[in-house]
Amino acid sequence: MSEESESSLLVIILDTNPGQRLVQEQAHVLTQCLESVIAFANSHLMLKAANKLAVLACHTKATEFLYPPPETGSQSMCRQHDGQYELFTHVEKTIRQSIQKFVVHHIERIKQEGENTGDTLLAGALAMSLCYIHRLERELTAGAKMNSRILIITGSGDSASQYMNYMNVFFTAQKQNITIDVCSLDQDLGLLQQGCDITGGLYLKIPQLQGLLQYLLWVFLPEPPIREKLVLPPPVKVDYRAACFCHRELIDIGYVCSVCLSIFCKFSPICTTCHTVFKTPGPLPIKPKKKKIKLT
Amino acid sequence: MADDEDGKEYRWETGYEKTWEAIKEDSEGLLEGPGLDMVQRARRRQRQKLSHTRLGMMRHLYLILDQSEAMTSQDLKPTRHLCTLKLLENFIEEFFDQNPISQLGIISTKNKRAEKIGELAGNPRKHLKVIRGLSTANCSGEPSLQNALDLAIRSLRLLPAHASREVLVLMASLTTCDPGDILVTIQELKTLGVRCSVLSLAAEVHVCRLLARETGGQFGVVLDDCHFRDLLLGHVDPPPAVTGLESSLIKMGFPHHQITEGKEAALSMCMCHVEVSDGEPGGGLKAGGYFCPQCSSKYCELPVECRACNLTLVSAPHLARSYHHLFPVDVYIERERSEFEDSISHCFACRRLYVDSDKHVYECNRCAQVFCLDCDIFIHETMHVCPGCATNQTTVNI
Repeated sequence: MSEESESSLLVIILDTNPGQRLVQEQAHVLTQCLESVIAFANSHLMLKAANKLAVLACHTKATEFLYPPPETGSQSMCRQHDGQYELFTHVEKTIRQSIQKFVVHHIERIKQEGENTGDTLLAGALAMSLCYIHRLERELTAGAKMNSRILIITGSGDSASQYMNYMNVFFTAQKQNITIDVCSLDQDLGLLQQGCDITGGLYLKIPQLQGLLQYLLWVFLPEPPIREKLVLPPPVKVDYRAACFCHRELIDIGYVCSVCLSIFCKFSPICTTCHTVFKTPGPLPIKPKKKKIKLT
Repeated sequence: MADDEDGKEYRWETGYEKTWEAIKEDSEGLLEGPGLDMVQRARRRQRQKLSHTRLGMMRHLYLILDQSEAMTSQDLKPTRHLCTLKLLENFIEEFFDQNPISQLGIISTKNKRAEKIGELAGNPRKHLKVIRGLSTANCSGEPSLQNALDLAIRSLRLLPAHASREVLVLMASLTTCDPGDILVTIQELKTLGVRCSVLSLAAEVHVCRLLARETGGQFGVVLDDCHFRDLLLGHVDPPPAVTGLESSLIKMGFPHHQITEGKEAALSMCMCHVEVSDGEPGGGLKAGGYFCPQCSSKYCELPVECRACNLTLVSAPHLARSYHHLFPVDVYIERERSEFEDSISHCFACRRLYVDSDKHVYECNRCAQVFCLDCDIFIHETMHVCPGCATNQTTVNI
């Protein structure tokens, strides 16, 4: 196939959670991030005319597509402005408008519902982007090829509460050959690190926020096939040890329920997740009765 | 994707198709295209998952592959044998993708004999190698169902009581050449709790049907290659647990990559390459690896059973990969699109604008978001996460 038919789709997920430490300390950080993201997005589009872009924003309550704008049938392209390529102006304008709407809407909801609690729902945003990528791949013309990847830019910590959603999403991405990259602004993210490792993406915790655009352009702009040829930050060794369900502690040797695969650090006669009664190990004086307790 | 590649080579090699009969009109005179069967398949699968039963998660499956003369028949293109091998490759990959802590073995039967060509093991690469190697093997003689089943019994019998034991027979021949009474073997399988399923490539045979019925398995006859694939992939999802399957807590190790501080680690042999070097350069001599937390033997990949202390070594994502079988996404409700009028113009997940041909949309019970058909199938078959629920604080942790 000729090179023309190969394009690359970049999905950027931007965490706009107002509860992030960085945002709470200095509110202008979000604006600064947005500037860098727009510049980065435009650079991606500049690499090849066929390249595609999608930007999502997500916080504690919702996820929204910032770009592309909802399809309305008629495509209104803005006029050239200061000699800038029309698409870039379009991207910038759309992202700015929609993020404004999104953040304002969120503030209104917080006012109505009170406290802004909880974690950023990144797993949901990932799920949505996978659906979007799945659709675009289905709509491709025969012979065309699209490399898709997802970049998460976040300053929040990760939460074990979304563990299952995260894992399902990572495995789906792995199956669909979608790379997940993570750019962490603040903390080390264990779960997302696993995601990068599973899907073959890059994980970077940036040392300085001022240089965000530099880091994005250097590390995350090249496509995964090109990355092999570059000297990039070495992959971090990911800790794949399991956390037990009873104390949430990392363990080396544990016990796994054969019915529901819950992990425990000590032997217990009844599974707390599925209430199965286990056979006690070792010889018993009385023959154990048949167990017929079902998973409810 | 892979499905499209194994299509028909040439038009004249394919069978006679009555393509016009596949097209049907609905009550409004609109054509219901070939997408329909795919939709139905998805629906059917979903309904099966609805019933919340206990599943046999730690599967030990023996594939019994008929390699008799009947496999050379050309009713599946190019031959039954090659078609089966191609589909099996796909099956094995899917099987280990969905059941990472399970084990698979392969038994081949020809010339009235049965031979174990793949030991019960959890490494898909070894099995794929075996399957690829079979493409040049010649198929001859008669199969022996009883010999093959006996061979499977011999190794399944030794498994611990919590393991789910299964046999999947791919049978092309209409006959079997058995040394004794096969009904005795079937009884034995039944008492051991081995679930036997049979896929026949030719026609329904009483003894196969009986075997499947008695042991609680499934029986199917293949119509064409696509149907074959569907039937085969139906065995990827874990089956309901056999009654009387004991549950227990299994001791497992979770090794982590050990990194020595500062200097480069010393090279050492891993236990998986200590006997056979697999033809790799270096023969398995590597610096890093996974170390068994109990006896510190080194392995280069997971999951594996420690050869020194028999501890099952896994990593947490291996277990997580199976969780979606246990906590499936609820089935969406099919709604007429006209019910929503213009309030919903596009799919929540993929942002596709609904067009006139989208007569139905699918609504999630919990988060009340509405999805298109393609997303519905993708969410339930592949992703197992509802994007609506996962982006809503009130529904995310249920």
